[in-house]
Amino acid sequence: MKKILLALLFGIFFIGNTQAQELSPERKQAVDSLALEKVRDLSKYIKIVGSKETPWSEANRVIDRAEELFAPDAEIGVSSLTTNEVVYYKVRQYLERLMRLNYDRVEIDWYKIEYVSDLQRQPDGTYVGVITVFQTFKGFDKEGRLIYQDTTKKDITVYVKRKETQIGGRLIGFWDVLLGDMRVKETTL
Amino acid sequence: MKLHIKNLVMIAMIALVTIGGTTSCGSKKKMAKKEYEAKIEQAKKDLNAIINDETLWTLEEQKARVDEIEKADFQNPEIDELIVKAKEKLNRKAAEEARLAEEERLRQLEEQNKMKPVASLQDYFAIIAAAPDAETANEKIAEALKMFASPDVPVLIIIYHVGDIIDYDAPTTAERYLNYIKDQKKVSVGIYNIKYDNNNKITELELIKK
Repeated sequence: MKKILLALLFGIFFIGNTQAQELSPERKQAVDSLALEKVRDLSKYIKIVGSKETPWSEANRVIDRAEELFAPDAEIGVSSLTTNEVVYYKVRQYLERLMRLNYDRVEIDWYKIEYVSDLQRQPDGTYVGVITVFQTFKGFDKEGRLIYQDTTKKDITVYVKRKETQIGGRLIGFWDVLLGDMRVKETTL
Repeated sequence: MKLHIKNLVMIAMIALVTIGGTTSCGSKKKMAKKEYEAKIEQAKKDLNAIINDETLWTLEEQKARVDEIEKADFQNPEIDELIVKAKEKLNRKAAEEARLAEEERLRQLEEQNKMKPVASLQDYFAIIAAAPDAETANEKIAEALKMFASPDVPVLIIIYHVGDIIDYDAPTTAERYLNYIKDQKKVSVGIYNIKYDNNNKITELELIKK
């Protein structure tokens, strides 16, 4: 009897606690949008780093910013129509490789950036979701001829956690978004 | 006898004229004295009103009145003393008015300066986002950064604000945010709040998602 009572009390406390920490739909929507925006930001960074017109110093600065979007040790998958295998690189390694690709002109575009798995609250308070993107890659030679082209579907895991920091003497509550591994799902022409 | 009467009439007439003239002169003097005393009284009254701040005259009108009394030179020690006091009072008032005017001028200048960066910072956001190349954008970023106390000034971006609940994006800095606009080529925020230091430089920038 005592055990049942304790279990009931624990259950009531647990449900109450979960409900208290549940975000309103509008607030959740704002967090969803923030995470999605980080992926869109990454797409722009990848386009800048890949572009041969980007000055070297700018590309390096952007690599720093792009790397900051990811969780430590996150990896990005690279596929090719010619090899059928997916190679995973650390984020910085991937971006530096992208900067040095042996084409005279590179075009990278991301589209259909959307959630395939909504942000779900984990027991530690972190929200985890998966965002999918489609990437078209085009490499040209110095005559402007298209040498290589593919379209890759990639899944990016996103981790969102509420944190607090002191700024100007006041406590600021912010949502820290970190991107996890970027997995190649399929590569087509 | 006829001559005697004629002489008597003449004497009487002279006497009459003489007496009449003397009486008229005395009355005029009396009148002048009264007027003079009234003027002195009015001068004292006006000077005291100026000294005790009991007049509705403007500062210029008070100065003009004191000058007028001084020029009248009443040869009255009390008035001379009041003139000195009134002049001191007016000098103090003039200094106070000048100080207040300067304070107001500085306040208005500060208001104008505060208004100006808000508009031009938002303008800089748009200019940087629309810059045709990195070099142009970097020049504008350098210009915009002059509005900030330092490139590391915190920039906070509100992503959700309902009632007491405020959610921010991860804090960034002025330099990083301006570069972010350059990279993303878009501005999706409005200015929510700006904090300044004594040099009118931005020390904290709060933005809100549109």
